[in-house]
Amino acid sequence: MNPLLQFVDIGFGFAGRPLLDHVSFNLTRQTCAALIGPNGAGKTTLLRLASGALPPTSGEILLDGQPLIDMPRRQRSRIVALVPQQLDVPFDFTVQQIVEQGRAPYLGLLRGPMREDRLAVERALHLTDTTYLRNRVFNQLSGGERQRVKIALGLAQEPKLLLLDEPTQNLDIGRQVELIDLLDHLRKEGITVFASIHDLHLIPKNFSVVHLLELNHSLSSGTPQQVLTPERLSQAFHCPPSRHPLLHQESL
Amino acid sequence: MESEVNRVAVTSLASVPNRRKPGKDASTKISRGKRLNLIGIIFGLSAVLLASILLSLSVGAIHISVRSIVAAILQQRPLTETQRTILLAIRLPRVLASAIVGAALAISGLMFQGLFRNPMADPYIIGASGGAAVGACIGIIFLSQFSVVGISATALLAFVGAVITMAVVYSLARANGRTSGVTLLLAGFAVGTMLTNSTYVFELFDPNSTTGTRIVAAWLHGVIAVPEWPQLAITFTLLLCTSLVAYPLMRRLNTLALGDEYAHQLGIRVEVARIGIILVGSLLTAIAVSLGGLISFAGLIVPHVARLLFGPDHVRLLPVTALFGAIFLVITDTLARTLFAPTEVPVGILMVFLGGPFFLYLLRRTRREYIL
Repeated sequence: MNPLLQFVDIGFGFAGRPLLDHVSFNLTRQTCAALIGPNGAGKTTLLRLASGALPPTSGEILLDGQPLIDMPRRQRSRIVALVPQQLDVPFDFTVQQIVEQGRAPYLGLLRGPMREDRLAVERALHLTDTTYLRNRVFNQLSGGERQRVKIALGLAQEPKLLLLDEPTQNLDIGRQVELIDLLDHLRKEGITVFASIHDLHLIPKNFSVVHLLELNHSLSSGTPQQVLTPERLSQAFHCPPSRHPLLHQESL
Repeated sequence: MESEVNRVAVTSLASVPNRRKPGKDASTKISRGKRLNLIGIIFGLSAVLLASILLSLSVGAIHISVRSIVAAILQQRPLTETQRTILLAIRLPRVLASAIVGAALAISGLMFQGLFRNPMADPYIIGASGGAAVGACIGIIFLSQFSVVGISATALLAFVGAVITMAVVYSLARANGRTSGVTLLLAGFAVGTMLTNSTYVFELFDPNSTTGTRIVAAWLHGVIAVPEWPQLAITFTLLLCTSLVAYPLMRRLNTLALGDEYAHQLGIRVEVARIGIILVGSLLTAIAVSLGGLISFAGLIVPHVARLLFGPDHVRLLPVTALFGAIFLVITDTLARTLFAPTEVPVGILMVFLGGPFFLYLLRRTRREYIL
């Protein structure tokens, strides 16, 4: 089977400043891939390119074998979902009302939600263990609950590819592990997961591939064992190996 | 090297019991409005609207009891000739006009609040009313006799004014392919205020300075005039048509609440939806302005109260706010013409005294949930 997502020689610049330069990688179906890199390296931009929110300056992105740029927007929205870092919602929308918006790619101007839409919402709530939150007001949830609801919103799109922008940020260690296990569970359900992550200690257990985006606009890929080495991390993050978080604790 | 990586801290964390289970209290908390049946609400509000219209018909310089009005409708006991004239030529058109104005202002307020993702937006604040007022003033002073297929030039120009103003405001707020909510509100406020005040210029060029000027002055304060029946019929039809068009836009508003970028990701044509919402909102504003002049705050208060009672789902809110707005304005207009009888207070002025304090209360209360 062909890879679900292919970046072919992608370049992207913003306001004359290059962010990505000749970046190529593939995402294998039904795997969990992590995207790591220092702040400002362009992780969010790369995820937005993959979701079709931004067009690349050069190169081609293939989603499910088709050029992403030519794909009708609704078809694209049924294949890929991006869970953003921040989701600001005005007014007192409940969790269920928020997650129902994930069905937008399936609804028409005059076609309201049908049975299959309600089922998809139920499934998304169930998978993320947020069914009990359905009638709570989204803006009143804790950080961990909010994160799971955001993932439920993405899952309501019934995507093949779930992109997540720093899903573990601002979570305590217990909620981080909970979330990482949820991603692994989604992979077993047949969804390809691609998440940018700063908490490197979470990667080795649940992710099979790591993509490292560096400040020199290049991307390198490998297994966690190949990428998460003291040498490569200290070079990419400009951080001496002795200060790396928990990864090499025994060296302290 | 491999062994080093494998001996990470995660292994010890994985044994921590995860997946917190729901507490009992969480699942029993039911959202506001969910347990209230929408159909029931609509019936209830319609009944209240009917009751307030009947009550409003009965009060005035000459009191006509509700009972005798109902008896006349049921064709049991006819009214006297004077009573008939007062009801059919004066009170009923005005009461119905106030209901239409209230519904139109409330729906456009709901749409603009949803679009700007801000509970402080209303057609008055973002400038649509100002544009409609300028258009209507030109109509009143220069083209008062003209009409196009039954629609008065005044109403038509009010719509054109509202749409042009919103287009200008929208393009002012747009930079680098994005539209900022704050800029949009501020630009709308500035443009709207300029336009509202520029209507005074028309008084200088007014050919027949007594009547026209007086009509314009009354307009700027917001007075619901006694409309002709054809005008009433046309505006009511327009209100119904725009509400039907607004219906599918309401689901778009729910999705747009997640933000432009998210809505785009969900396959929504954000710009198309926005322009549609602005057009419909402007048309509704023009309907209201053509009947009642500039009435501020009604479009602000009604959607907000409805949202507090029935939750933020725009699809549900559309009929609810329309009925709420109609009831609210029927009652306020009745107060405006009876409170200091025989002198009449412009309903717009009364609304300012009701709406001003409410707006300030909102400002204090919703500060934490501000999203611009």
